[in-house]
Amino acid sequence: MLRDISLNINGKIKTIRVEESKRLLDVLREDFALTGTKEGCAIGECGACTVVINSDAVNSCLVLIGQCEGVEIITIEGLEQNGELHELQKQFMEKGAIQCGFCTPGMVMSAYALVQSNPDTTIEEIKEAIEGNLCRCTGYTQIVDAIAH
Amino acid sequence: MIPRLEIHVPEKMDEVLEILDSSKANCRIIGGGTDIVPGFHIESPRFAGFNKLVDINRIEELHEIRENDENIIIGAGATFSQIISDSIIAHKVPLLQKAAHGIGSKQIRNKATIAGNFVNNAPCADSVPALLVYDASLRIQCADSARVIKLEEFLEGPYETNLQPNEIVTQILIPNNSIGLAGDFYKLGRRRAVAVSRITLGLLYKIADNKFDEIRIASGAVTPIGQRFYEIENFAKGNEVSDELLRTIAIKAGKKVLDLTGLRWSTPHKLPVLQKALYNLLVKNCLK
Ligand code: FES
Ligand code: FES
Repeated sequence: MLRDISLNINGKIKTIRVEESKRLLDVLREDFALTGTKEGCAIGECGACTVVINSDAVNSCLVLIGQCEGVEIITIEGLEQNGELHELQKQFMEKGAIQCGFCTPGMVMSAYALVQSNPDTTIEEIKEAIEGNLCRCTGYTQIVDAIAH
Repeated sequence: MIPRLEIHVPEKMDEVLEILDSSKANCRIIGGGTDIVPGFHIESPRFAGFNKLVDINRIEELHEIRENDENIIIGAGATFSQIISDSIIAHKVPLLQKAAHGIGSKQIRNKATIAGNFVNNAPCADSVPALLVYDASLRIQCADSARVIKLEEFLEGPYETNLQPNEIVTQILIPNNSIGLAGDFYKLGRRRAVAVSRITLGLLYKIADNKFDEIRIASGAVTPIGQRFYEIENFAKGNEVSDELLRTIAIKAGKKVLDLTGLRWSTPHKLPVLQKALYNLLVKNCLK
């Protein structure tokens, strides 16, 4: 069914009229042109679609927009502040944690949820936070390094 | 493809019950959605034939974890992340915490709910063997009544439970006499994270005078549905804890699984692995 949904995306309240069983992932990409969030597997296994909802990292491919009334969503596009990249994004670039880049937005969002809830993380906690994010390129070492800094 | 659906997001339990009551089989409950949404994509018949979803994530009482004189009470909508970080669970239901930790990934655990795990009743549902050794019961509600049923009676077959279309599981009850037993949970998957379990085992026990005063064993993934091994438990109870006894328990468990499943392509490698895993788990925990 078509429905009006209001939600907070990257700090701004937005309202759209949308088919309520559309996936959040598709709404972000198609209705809001926030194409940083990627689709890899569509079944919750790869983490490329990770966004932060009410402080938790979540697979946006498993969320239907009809469930989202009033929630707060942060996507990769929301990390930059006043034209400046978030520290995590800078570290990813500096440490060579990006190769093809397809996994990167999801990876950064998992890392973002972690450092928001706990700025002093151990390597074990970092690994746990990104265990649902697959990367076919980097071998993860540089990614863990980037998040640790 | 995700079908066109009407999605309700009530804030009160009464509304949930009302929606279920008026729409019956036309409606499904959605918790974390981590099974339903992938189920749509593969056009699974289990996720077809309804046109309404009722999202239960905003019902506060379904997220509560607390205890009273008789039970630890876990709200059916508690997510695995919530279960992992809850101090009552950590102290009193540690096997469930351990099982929860091995489920999916951080993102999945942030969404997936405990009741969703067993209402879906996949053979590999990790919470099931842990809950079975704790003798868990469920509180189930519909618009005009409520009932309590043991989890093992609720689980009827692979992907089948005794839940009626107008009902919802509201609580998981862990009886106090299950608290304080020692135990462990074992999971074998293809990799550590985001892996469907190949073998899961739950073990609770109490040893007094080097004899098994209590022992409870449950398996998941290797049997059509998660289940307890009562015959083997009864055989072991009262016996002296020895390497030989533990070996016998493991061998009997393997035979039991073979009885239940029959010979399959995977039997020649799975059975010895199961027996070895159970033996190792028993030795590690019980042989001091
Ligand atoms: S696209 Fe969502 S987890 Fe892979
Ligand atoms: S950089 Fe290519 S998948 Fe991670």
